[in-house]
Amino acid sequence: MKTIGEEPVYEVFARRVEGEPLRHVGCVAAPADALARVYARSIYDEESWLEMYVVPRRAIIPVESVRGEAVDAHV
Amino acid sequence: MSTPLLDRASALPQDCVPALVDLVVALADNKHALGLRYGEWCSSGPTIEAGVAATAMAQDELGHARVLYGLLEELPGAPHRSEHEWAASDARTAAFLDRPFPGWPHLIVANVLLDQALASVLETALLSRYLPLRQRVRKILEEERYHAIHGQGWLRQLAAEGPRVRELLGEAVRAAWPDALCWFGPADGGSLRPLVDAGVLREAGDPVRERFLAGTGPLLSQSGVAAPVRAEGDRWVLTEPLPWPVWDERARRVRGGAPERDTR
Repeated sequence: MKTIGEEPVYEVFARRVEGEPLRHVGCVAAPADALARVYARSIYDEESWLEMYVVPRRAIIPVESVRGEAVDAHV
Repeated sequence: MSTPLLDRASALPQDCVPALVDLVVALADNKHALGLRYGEWCSSGPTIEAGVAATAMAQDELGHARVLYGLLEELPGAPHRSEHEWAASDARTAAFLDRPFPGWPHLIVANVLLDQALASVLETALLSRYLPLRQRVRKILEEERYHAIHGQGWLRQLAAEGPRVRELLGEAVRAAWPDALCWFGPADGGSLRPLVDAGVLREAGDPVRERFLAGTGPLLSQSGVAAPVRAEGDRWVLTEPLPWPVWDERARRVRGGAPERDTR
């Protein structure tokens, strides 16, 4: 288990209305997917979102990046 | 044939009005107290995200209390309640909420046991014949879904930190257990029975308690947190009797708090 403060980072994506592109709204740190959902919902609640998703940062595959290695959690 | 809806308080059978008043007052008072207790951790959660989630749950609970207090306005004989004039002295709340939580594990246990016990009772009103209640319950339960995920996620995370934290969680579970498990009423529902008979609630007593234990039992057991519940075939059953002789049906709390018992 990750110690508190070292949890994986999840990127948060949402859209307000049907047809609008899904856009990046921020990120949360959470020990697991379930809490990442709760945190995203409570932190990014300034709008009435139609849909919201969390994506583990480590699941994002770099295409072009200034990084020399894959984007990992907690970075 | 569908049963006609009761669209106003005057349509309720007279004998179920006092029971409904008592239930709504206790539900709302507990939610208000829970909101205040969650709110005390707004800026002191273990992480920023946890503090924000506690804030959001506090807002939700205070909102649920406000919505439920609104139900009392048209019920005859209901005591005056207002979120702005809330006095803890005559509030009908679980003993576990009488004092600030001494630590984050206590908040999580309140989240897992009390918050979810109240949600389980409200779930029995999802298709209530009493329309003013039914109209309020759906949104409350949508928000409670996230409270449940929060409680389960944190209980597992805390329990994985080691035996000392599991012991703390077990102590908090033992303190909150009597009020949480008695909330559903005695086997046949007790004072909630007239509400079931009138279709205001779908069920009360043992069936609701069994459904609650079916969710909470595996969570506590898999997390290694001690609790008086065990699996029996495909059911989860209590290993100790509940303190019915000291349960106050009207206030919906154990009189004098939890009875003193050896922890093992």
